Amino acid sequence: MARKMLVDGEAPVADGGQYDYDLFVIGAGSGGVRGSRTAASFGAKVAICELPFHPISSDWQGGHGGTCVIRGCVPKKILVYGASFRGEFEDSKNFGWEINGDINFNWKTLLEHKTKEIVRLNGVYQRIITNAGVTMIEGAGSLVDAHTVEVSQPNGSKQRYTAKHILIATGSRAQRVNIPGKELAITSDEALSLEELPKRAVILGGGYIAVEFASIWRGMGAEVDLFYRKELPLRGFDDEMRAVVAGNLEGRGIKLHPGTNLTELSKTADGIKVVTDKGEELVADVVLFATGRKPNSERLNLQAAGVEVDQIGAIKVDEYSRTSAPSVWAVGDVTNRINLTPVALMEATCFSKTVFGGQQVKPDYRDVPCAVFSIPPLSVVGLSEQQAREEAKGDILVFTSSFNPMKNSISKRQEKTVMKLVVDAETDRVLGASMCGPDAAEIMQGIAVALKCGATKATFDSTVGIHPSAAEEFVTMRTVTRRVGPVSKPKTSL
Amino acid sequence: MAAHATLPFSCSSTLQTLSRTLSPRGALQLRRGFLRLPSHAALPRHPRPCCRRHVSASAAASPNGASADGKYDYDLFTIGAGSGGVRASRFASTLHGARVAICEMPFATIASDEHGGLGGTCVLRGCVPKKLLVYGSKYSHEFEESRGFGWTYETEPKHDWSTLIANKNTELQRLVGIYKNILNNAEVTLIEGRGKIVDPHTVSVNGKLYTAKNILIGVGGRPSMPDIPGIELAIDSDAALDLPSKPEKIAIVGGGYIALEFAGIFNGLKSEVHVFIRQKKVLRGFDEEVRDFVADQMALRGITFHSEQSPQAVTKSNDGLLSLKTNKETIGGFSHVMFATGRRPNTKNLGLEDVGVQMDKNGAIVVDEYSRTSVESIWAVGDVTNRVNLTPVALMEGGAFVRTAFGNEPTKPDYRAIPSAVFSQPPIGQVGLTEEQAVEEYGDVDVFIANFRPLKATLSGLPDRVLMKIIVCATTNKVVGAHMCGDDAPEIIQGIAIAVKAGLTKQDFDATIGIHPTSAEEFVTMRNATRKIRKKSTDQVHNAILKRNFTWHTGWHTWKIYFLRIICFELDLSLLRVFYMFY
Repeated sequence: MARKMLVDGEAPVADGGQYDYDLFVIGAGSGGVRGSRTAASFGAKVAICELPFHPISSDWQGGHGGTCVIRGCVPKKILVYGASFRGEFEDSKNFGWEINGDINFNWKTLLEHKTKEIVRLNGVYQRIITNAGVTMIEGAGSLVDAHTVEVSQPNGSKQRYTAKHILIATGSRAQRVNIPGKELAITSDEALSLEELPKRAVILGGGYIAVEFASIWRGMGAEVDLFYRKELPLRGFDDEMRAVVAGNLEGRGIKLHPGTNLTELSKTADGIKVVTDKGEELVADVVLFATGRKPNSERLNLQAAGVEVDQIGAIKVDEYSRTSAPSVWAVGDVTNRINLTPVALMEATCFSKTVFGGQQVKPDYRDVPCAVFSIPPLSVVGLSEQQAREEAKGDILVFTSSFNPMKNSISKRQEKTVMKLVVDAETDRVLGASMCGPDAAEIMQGIAVALKCGATKATFDSTVGIHPSAAEEFVTMRTVTRRVGPVSKPKTSL
Repeated sequence: MAAHATLPFSCSSTLQTLSRTLSPRGALQLRRGFLRLPSHAALPRHPRPCCRRHVSASAAASPNGASADGKYDYDLFTIGAGSGGVRASRFASTLHGARVAICEMPFATIASDEHGGLGGTCVLRGCVPKKLLVYGSKYSHEFEESRGFGWTYETEPKHDWSTLIANKNTELQRLVGIYKNILNNAEVTLIEGRGKIVDPHTVSVNGKLYTAKNILIGVGGRPSMPDIPGIELAIDSDAALDLPSKPEKIAIVGGGYIALEFAGIFNGLKSEVHVFIRQKKVLRGFDEEVRDFVADQMALRGITFHSEQSPQAVTKSNDGLLSLKTNKETIGGFSHVMFATGRRPNTKNLGLEDVGVQMDKNGAIVVDEYSRTSVESIWAVGDVTNRVNLTPVALMEGGAFVRTAFGNEPTKPDYRAIPSAVFSQPPIGQVGLTEEQAVEEYGDVDVFIANFRPLKATLSGLPDRVLMKIIVCATTNKVVGAHMCGDDAPEIIQGIAIAVKAGLTKQDFDATIGIHPTSAEEFVTMRNATRKIRKKSTDQVHNAILKRNFTWHTGWHTWKIYFLRIICFELDLSLLRVFYMFY
């Protein structure tokens, strides 16, 4: 039954029966688990290998659930929740709440509860895999050839498995910059599991991870200095929204150092001394490098199967997630396409449908929404104003709205919520939406459904608002803020 | 954007300056499209007024209705400066150059025959103050949640009611000022006082008469309480929003959204809350599952529900405390008894009867699809017409009225897929049909349900859960309803409402990538239907079989089959079984 359903034109295999498995998956993160589970549901015989669980990943440690569950989305969001309470306490005063005496934050309690939750989720993932009838194998997987995986243990023992198809979903890992004293810095893995909460934190990086940790530590009471190379954090997002986020971070007490790099770290009695390329010096308890992530492709022995990688080590795949070796496939962060959990899930589902479900399905990367869980959060879907102008043939209409959220009318917090719609002037299609303010991520999901299906501004306008909410602003932006023409992308000689 | 910068909160839709240009249309088109003459039958008491004014006005009407034909003081006179009235007045003036006046009574937090205030129910006695109190009361839950996230308090946080009420009232005063500015900037003449209609083109305010080509009634509604002994001891929602002190123990009578919102507010502020509902369940008209879910969640937070109890009397004992007697029991010791037992249109003493404006049995003004009353020159929008009583709907009606009456563009408000929220704790957001309505309308319905513990609750250890439901018409695959109860539900449903309004299918939802980790992503990741309801009850299935048989047989076979069907219906048997028994 299982074998009968296999659909594969290219793999040089006469009969699936000559292999131990129809599918062998390396890495039980979001993409790997989804891929193995859906393949099994199509009747395939599947095995998956993963390293033993540990909050901090290494060559010998990982865990079922992967980055998202153990070292990413989930623990990060838990810390963001924890950190958000400080702002709530401040806001509550004008609503009549009196908190006499100290409010204390116990990092250890939060850490303990977070670890408990992650261990629980790790178990949930293991159960999901088992219930799907997938064989779980513990150890580090690497390729022997295009149909053979070797799973090795720290003690040196090795076991080989053959499979008709191999799926690589080993994800990625935080990367450090190469400056003197770099070993004194930590990455996001460690930051999620620190023994002590830092009082003074220095963060290097302008991406979402840097911004999120800045908000987390600030919310927990630390002094935070954020260093990044560009003028604004969050490169790739809408410029206007980047400026809003920067303003909010500053408003919440984070010190921003745009256009600044770190050049050296050294240990002193008082903490870690940090030197910048502008000659500034400061001392911190913790220095976090949030300077990008690198695909986990080095220890996979990819060349043995003829699997190609690009210059940063990401596995090259075609539109169906097939690598240069026809029987080897890859999904998720290890392919460095769009590095988001829900995208890895989509890629894995498409993979299973293509290989085992008898339908050729490509993942659709259009209008993928995402969120930055800074405090307050930023969430976007579709094109930024800059991207829209680059892609447009005609004019673009930009609708923006900057307002005081209702809660602030009492709390007196000086922080505006900003929303933006980018519309094609000719077709009236909404090309992009962004929001920075409380609940942005929750609000954007529904907007993303509308955008994905080509909703026009007229459809937005015809939707009745939910009053009083922040989200209703998205359906009541009647006046064009500006009309801008297309810009051609500057051509470079490269 | 200047107006925008001063916005107090997110209802800027009310405040933005609209500068959309409308395409000019010819007079001919106007007459065909808009100036339809009402039949005399529609005006039983006052046949179409053929007084001097009206005839000459019609003759001199300029195409856009915003004529300065001198016969009238104004092109539009609006009674009531709430959401609908302000929106219509502002648009008529700024977009169409109409000369507009609006009258409103002086500001007070509690509405009466002499008091109201710019902004109306929404701003002064409804959405805004209610939401501010919801914000204020929600903190107690957040303090509880925070413990699981490592926060500790040397002393328990205490709430001071008077601070909250004072800050709320300061905010309301500010909003009244903003509304005044909006009207001034739109060059709408503001007249303070109670308006009364004298004839189809005349309004009297404080004894002074004003004539207008069109009159718009936007006077809203007011809480109504049943006539039972001791009712004067009870309070309504107006008073509950502005109490001098926090209730220690409160009885709330009613199962609608106002009752639930106040139950949440007082419970959050640590009052002992008892809710008395006449029916078995709260929130009649909402999805059945949502009704059960929200009551369970509220009970878990400490609210006591007394179902199937009708109030019979309120009494005061010697210690000053109140008792509520119902058909089942008498409970005492209440510092306050609140009735949230519905609202009634404010149509008394408006002169409507004399001028011939029809009202229904509840006192709501009867209007056509364009918000025109039975008197051609008099229109009405918002709660006073008791259609869908929501601020954004009044705004929509006000906007449509202006297009119709002043923009040469007859426009009907569109009541399809209006989303709404209940700011209970946890809140509800919904759009489109309930499961029950969908089954009724489409028969074959797929229901997708997610009932889960949100990430925040796994850490806080509180028993909070989230319920989400998508209702899909099985034949078209269109999403015809979406419901949610849980944190941020109103914010989450707004975007979903755009998708429902656009008529999107379940596949469209599935094709959307989730935002991880959020609650909202659940709306795009519900892959398997929880239940598939097929209304193809036996008789429908068998109709199909019978139909086929009709083409095969003639004569007595046909009669036999008819006969069979009758027997089956009579005996309430499975048609199929009988059918096969015979053959």
